[in-house]
Amino acid sequence: MYNDDTATALLEKETYDAINIDRSKGDFTFPERHKFDAGWGLSAHTVDYISDVKKDPDWVREFRHKALKIFESKPMPTNWATEDLNNIHFDKIRYYLSDGEKPKRSWDEVPEEILKTFERLGIPQQERAFLAGVEAQYDSEAAYSNMKEELSKQGVIFVTSAEGLKEHEEIFRPYFGKVIPTGDNKFSALNSAVFSGGSFIYIPKGVKLKQPLQAYFRINSESFGQFERTLIIADEGSEVMYMEGCTAPKFETATLHSAVVELVALKGARIQYITVQNWSSNVFNLVTKRGLAMENAEVRWIDCNIGSRLTMKYPGVVMKGEGARGEVISIALANTGQHQDTGAKMIHAADNTTSNVVSKSISVGQGRATYRGQVHIPKHLKGCKNNTECDALLINSNSRTDTYPAITVKGNRHATQHEASVSQVSEEMLFYMQQRGLDQGQAMSLAVNGFINDLVREFPMEYSVELKRLIDLEMEGSVG
Amino acid sequence: MSLHIQELHASLENGTEILKGVTLDIPAGEIHAIMGPNGSGKSTLSKVLAGHKGYIPTSGTITLDGQDISELSIDQRSRAGIFLAFQYPAEVPGVSNANFIRAALQSRLPKGQEIDAVAYYKNLYAKMDLLEMDRKFTSRAVNEGFSGGEKKRNEILQMIMLDPKYCILDETDSGLDIDALKIVAKGVNAMRSANRGMLLITHYQRLLDYIKPDHVHVMSDGRIVRSGGPELALELEEKGYDFLKEPALAS
Amino acid sequence: MTATLPAWFKARQQSALQRYETTTTPKRGDEQWRFSNFKQLDFANVSNKPAPEVDVAGLVSRSTGLETPVAKFVFLNDSPVFSESSLPTDVICLPLAEALASHSDLVAQHFMRQETRLGSAKYAALHEASLKNGLFVHIPDGMEIEGSIEVHHWLSGETTIFPHTLVVTGRNAKVRIIDCFRSVDETTPGLAIAFNDLCLGENSQLDYIAIQALNEVTRMIQINETSTDRDARAKGFILNTGASWARNESLSRLDGPGSRSDMLSVSIPAREQEYDQRTLQHHVSEGTYSDLLYKNTLYGHSRTIFSGLIFVGEKAHHTDAYQTCRNLLMTDDCEANSMPGLEINADQVKCSHGSTSSQISDEEIFYLCTRGIDPTRARQLIARGFSVEAVERLADEPTEKLVLKFIDEKFSAIGVSEG
Repeated sequence: MYNDDTATALLEKETYDAINIDRSKGDFTFPERHKFDAGWGLSAHTVDYISDVKKDPDWVREFRHKALKIFESKPMPTNWATEDLNNIHFDKIRYYLSDGEKPKRSWDEVPEEILKTFERLGIPQQERAFLAGVEAQYDSEAAYSNMKEELSKQGVIFVTSAEGLKEHEEIFRPYFGKVIPTGDNKFSALNSAVFSGGSFIYIPKGVKLKQPLQAYFRINSESFGQFERTLIIADEGSEVMYMEGCTAPKFETATLHSAVVELVALKGARIQYITVQNWSSNVFNLVTKRGLAMENAEVRWIDCNIGSRLTMKYPGVVMKGEGARGEVISIALANTGQHQDTGAKMIHAADNTTSNVVSKSISVGQGRATYRGQVHIPKHLKGCKNNTECDALLINSNSRTDTYPAITVKGNRHATQHEASVSQVSEEMLFYMQQRGLDQGQAMSLAVNGFINDLVREFPMEYSVELKRLIDLEMEGSVG
Repeated sequence: MSLHIQELHASLENGTEILKGVTLDIPAGEIHAIMGPNGSGKSTLSKVLAGHKGYIPTSGTITLDGQDISELSIDQRSRAGIFLAFQYPAEVPGVSNANFIRAALQSRLPKGQEIDAVAYYKNLYAKMDLLEMDRKFTSRAVNEGFSGGEKKRNEILQMIMLDPKYCILDETDSGLDIDALKIVAKGVNAMRSANRGMLLITHYQRLLDYIKPDHVHVMSDGRIVRSGGPELALELEEKGYDFLKEPALAS
Repeated sequence: MTATLPAWFKARQQSALQRYETTTTPKRGDEQWRFSNFKQLDFANVSNKPAPEVDVAGLVSRSTGLETPVAKFVFLNDSPVFSESSLPTDVICLPLAEALASHSDLVAQHFMRQETRLGSAKYAALHEASLKNGLFVHIPDGMEIEGSIEVHHWLSGETTIFPHTLVVTGRNAKVRIIDCFRSVDETTPGLAIAFNDLCLGENSQLDYIAIQALNEVTRMIQINETSTDRDARAKGFILNTGASWARNESLSRLDGPGSRSDMLSVSIPAREQEYDQRTLQHHVSEGTYSDLLYKNTLYGHSRTIFSGLIFVGEKAHHTDAYQTCRNLLMTDDCEANSMPGLEINADQVKCSHGSTSSQISDEEIFYLCTRGIDPTRARQLIARGFSVEAVERLADEPTEKLVLKFIDEKFSAIGVSEG
């Protein structure tokens, strides 16, 4: 972007400082104290070990074994995805680590080191300030899970997936693995074989949660794979906002996070699922997320992907009922050594369904941001609409971005629109800002901030503040 | 105390020389106007003074109150007191005017010192009132979707807010109707001060009806070819720039 | 081919045959064949029977195109049956078999130099191994040809043809070539595997127009490879109205700084027709510009696939690249697939792509009806106007008229039943 080498170096340093996020906040570990450890590598034995420790019902054990076979039979999707996937060594990962304790309902009962971890991440404070309920997962299992009392009185269920499948089987089982079948992809199969942790949420008919529920996923152990499984069912006319945050310390070896999240919004229900991930740069983050929206229901994925070595995540909505709506709002920031391969999948399966995708990515240094989208409107439907916008911002001369959407429309009663652009912070814009006294780094920060500003507003206030802090665009306190 | 330009030469990256020895002294308290036909180098002069990288000063000096600023970066020059009101201000999508001006003011404070937000907004609103700007303007993104007149008013607002020592106004009157021009002129006149020097770059004499310059210079082919009082602008209005073609005058 | 072929060419054909045999057939999971109909790649049923007798004189008289082409060639199953030319003598414009004999080195320098990267490497190898003839055009430095060279390729009988067009333009040269592919009858299934190789010299200008109006039981693979030297300006246009299935692969490689490529296409599939189009705008050098506009109007149970990639290489700074695919869906049973892609590896780049799928709105029809036009006619008028936007980019009236003639023939064939 700049011919002058020193200016380039300076700029790269400044933009790095500007955009590099404070990952140090999550970069600490405590010694491992695990009572249960499934050991290294993955086999039928590993699956049985997990089932034994978790006292799975037989149907779950069977489900896991079947999934393992599917996982083993599926090739890596390197025909379209990055070859970097081949650097995941499944035999050098530990699949289950826990201290064997049940999740606590009170922070006072949480073991001290785990409590310290979540305190340093600010979770108990946030819970007091603005959350309806919190689940905090530490390696394979939740250490803490609690919800405001009045919500349980209304019949809201917010427990770990293990509690859900045992204690609420009649609600859990009919939807479990139905939105995302085990064989959807290699990593959904992996998750189905070894899943542990994650949330099960049920919102009864007509109940509208005013405050969000939050989950926090923390990896503490090296060479570990975290495989949480979340299922949220919003019954007719209900509303819920769920937020998840993720961190891991920086280890020498790669760590794997492979979650499956299924959302079910029944008639007229509304689910908003918000993610702010801030993985350290050696985490492979391969997540399958999909929502089912019935008649006049709405599923919104609001996603911010920062950090990780490779993120592959394409939140989807299957609009199965007439008038259903699906939305994906996504911000991705890829720094040197990182590849954010994100996107959206919109399946229109009923008349008059509407989907909207807005994706913005920022590539810094040698970072690479990829958008993949799928929009599918099969025939004999009418009145389906999709709008997709994806904009990429390249910060440095060796930053990279790719866009690969696929849109299928059948029949003449629909409208789809896809637009994508790639831009840089123009030299004229930087000159203008510098002429007002901002140095190059500040000017760049401000420009980047402006680029994502409209999407940042989609996050709840508390998260958008956190997000801005993370992206640290308003460094040096120059802008209020 | 002055902005002094001595025998300034500047070229494009491809070597084409645009400024061919400009000498100009703008003392604090005075308003100078540079007029000239298109392509005479007027706008280039403003960009070179601001430190734009697309123009390479090949010889000569620029001193600000005695200090040589040739080695200073764009933002250092700005903080040293040079303000350029752009002919075509850039858009900064997503960044509100209020935040932008605040960021610019913050950059002038020592590290650790924060702007008093209440005082800032009070001041900002007062200056916006002077320029007859709607309050909604503070939350709009910088120059995005602005009309020509709004952009120019915004430049003047930033100028007033940043309180520079030397103001360079590049074709501030272009694209303005007479009402907008009057408002802009009001803002500029409000900035007249014994401590401040101004350089108006303009193609048309019209601006000088509203902002009275102390001195008028004519630029042609990268040089100042004539200097005089305000009457020179009137003469130009009457005769046009054709006289420049007469070799006797140009040399 | 005849014994007069140069040794290098024979060697190329032999190694191409080996390559054809060792290259795997496209299969499910290949990204370059996503959404493709693999049934169409079964060529076993093309029997390659000897062609029936054709009335050559009648065929030549059917080979009408422009009123005054600057040169005209007619091929029947890859054999030249007619030629006339008013080109200056320094221009080489010959059937490829003749050019191989008379200008072997020049042909060798340019013949199929690029790697086929959009999926049909196997069929490009088959083409190279099997081709018998085609057209070779060389425009010397500084020669600007006003007007167009017109080539008619006729396919007769249950057979496969391998038409080849190789065009080389010298510095500051200019020319326009029109290839027109048609079947002698409407009922015999054939196969055409065509290749056009366009090599633009410095600051030269080349317009290439391919009109595909084969019968609706014939299949076609058409591979275009364009390379541009410094400041050269290429314009490619593909019209698809015929064939049961057509696969177009168009690659523009902007090798020289400041060069430009416009990639245009109009497709009007109806009934069960399928058009599968893959494009690559490969920006190699700095300051290059590409602009793609593909417009599809779909009737009946037809199906289109558009997969386009803008690839900006590491050195291609200050690139402008645009890509637009618009689908107009006319019936409830048609299907449009769009995969517009971007891969950006350079700096100070302006790139965008857009893809839309929509139908004619009731308001538009209503407006035309209030002016006295019946609804069927109104729909056709609007659909025609939709295609015209791309045709106008040809910026040459006689060529536009010719393309529109084929478009209008298609619209009238679609007729009232589907319109």
